[in-house]
Amino acid sequence: MGQITATLGKTIKEFLRQKTVLFWTIAWPIIWVLIGSFSFTGNVREEVVPYVRGSIAISMMSFALMTAGIANLPGNIAEDRERGLLSKLMSMPIKPWKDFVGRILALLAFSSLAAILVALVGFICGAKFSYTMTGAWQSIGFLLLTSFASAGIGMLIGTFIKHVHGAIMTGVGISVVTASISGVMAPYSSLPELLQNFARIYPISSVNSSITYLLVGEDYSGYNPLTTTQTTLTIIISILLFVAGLIAYSRFCWRKE
Amino acid sequence: MDAIYVENLTKKYGDNEVLRKVNLKIEEGEFYALMGPNGSGKTTLASIMASVRSPTSGEIRIYGRKPEKAREFIGYIPQENFSSPILTGKENLMYFAGLLGYSKKKGERIANELLNKIGLSKDANKKVSVYSGGMRKRLEVATALFPGMKILILDEPTTGLDPSARRKFLGLIREVKGEKTTILLITHIGADAELASRVGLIDKGQIIAEDEPEKLKETSGLKNVINIETTIKSEKVANVLSSFSEKQKLLETDLGYRVYCKDVGKVTPKIVRSLDAIGCKATKIETVRPSLEDVFFKLTEKTFREMS
Repeated sequence: MGQITATLGKTIKEFLRQKTVLFWTIAWPIIWVLIGSFSFTGNVREEVVPYVRGSIAISMMSFALMTAGIANLPGNIAEDRERGLLSKLMSMPIKPWKDFVGRILALLAFSSLAAILVALVGFICGAKFSYTMTGAWQSIGFLLLTSFASAGIGMLIGTFIKHVHGAIMTGVGISVVTASISGVMAPYSSLPELLQNFARIYPISSVNSSITYLLVGEDYSGYNPLTTTQTTLTIIISILLFVAGLIAYSRFCWRKE
Repeated sequence: MDAIYVENLTKKYGDNEVLRKVNLKIEEGEFYALMGPNGSGKTTLASIMASVRSPTSGEIRIYGRKPEKAREFIGYIPQENFSSPILTGKENLMYFAGLLGYSKKKGERIANELLNKIGLSKDANKKVSVYSGGMRKRLEVATALFPGMKILILDEPTTGLDPSARRKFLGLIREVKGEKTTILLITHIGADAELASRVGLIDKGQIIAEDEPEKLKETSGLKNVINIETTIKSEKVANVLSSFSEKQKLLETDLGYRVYCKDVGKVTPKIVRSLDAIGCKATKIETVRPSLEDVFFKLTEKTFREMS
């Protein structure tokens, strides 16, 4: 059992045993899938209802991954720092990068579980997707990008906001607000031009649109997010956020005073 | 060989000099207590030894190595409760076993042995959130008892524990201490420091006295102390009592005061009468041997209360 496995095991147990984490990452998106699937489809033609439900399920999967990275991860980091665990770890013969990898793997495992549960509820509610195998694999790749971008933002929050509640509330706030204004929780076409531009830059939103485009169609994503320029932008910003978070975490959380 | 060797160690935060050319030697197997009030620099010194902080200047060696090269020897227990409350006691120890590179099987065996050693076998599978403060601290000490660890650095481990839990905890520390295990106890409680074989008193970032606890008391010149518990504590009461104390210095305690005087037999009845005269009753009045807090007070003319 190495340091990575130990950190992975500890972090995932902590995620799974905290009611607030379970609520915001799993229950909340599921509640929105249920509400959206039956309340927002009243004026929609019957034959397209399953696809609307599909796009709602995708949005809520994105939201689940986003909350896991942006709220749960910084909450976990801030909690470890506040209770002195990071000081204890700094005194031990261990490597910070292994701690980082363990946390990210735990986040990916927990996020995957959340996304699968949200998707399952979507299916039960009648969500339908029209996808190819290539499209499905590409979607999984895009979901990973969501996790990496969210983890990057989460690590920045966890590094610079010292208190647990502050870190969690900031993370939840950023998740809810950015999801609302970037087309994750509202149709892209209904956004004003300024926010449409933001939706294309904000990688979690553009990834959500990419998956919707791949699995449901352009009518539901509002634009084509799979152009070379847009895809490159999405990938670069996701990676940049992840790298920025990684640098902040390793330099400031593990820095000796 | 010195387990811990510190020479001219200085630590500054901006213009604030927290440690000032500290010199300290602790031999292998020694139980050393570093005692001082809040802000005296003792936690900073401990965290430098544990390689959590870096010194500004000076030298520090742990078994001849720089602290960051001696991490495998050091079991550092910070002040905070660092164990995860939503994991069980055993899961917490298994996590640390994993961090130290033990296989799952070996880690589990060691975790069980440690839980037995610290008397938590029955509660091993309970979440730490239901543990008492003393149980949680014992569990955390177990993370510093993995094989190969030679130095145990305990930073204020009894803070927040009730007197009974405090005594049990310190009893455990003495029990688990191996012949070659070196213990550095950071504390502001004299009774805790009394357990050590040697005590260093630290004030304003400097070690002001260092010796065996009894020798420290002897050399301080303090013979007897009158410990008084009063129905009320006020400036008026303090003024009355200080008139009986040497240099009119009075140590305030939780329930009353400590008066320093040479002729205890003569002074005690006078104190009772004077307190009566101002309408204050002494609920307890006793002659006690000086404590390490008294020694500190004598040396610095400061109480821990004034400093914190």
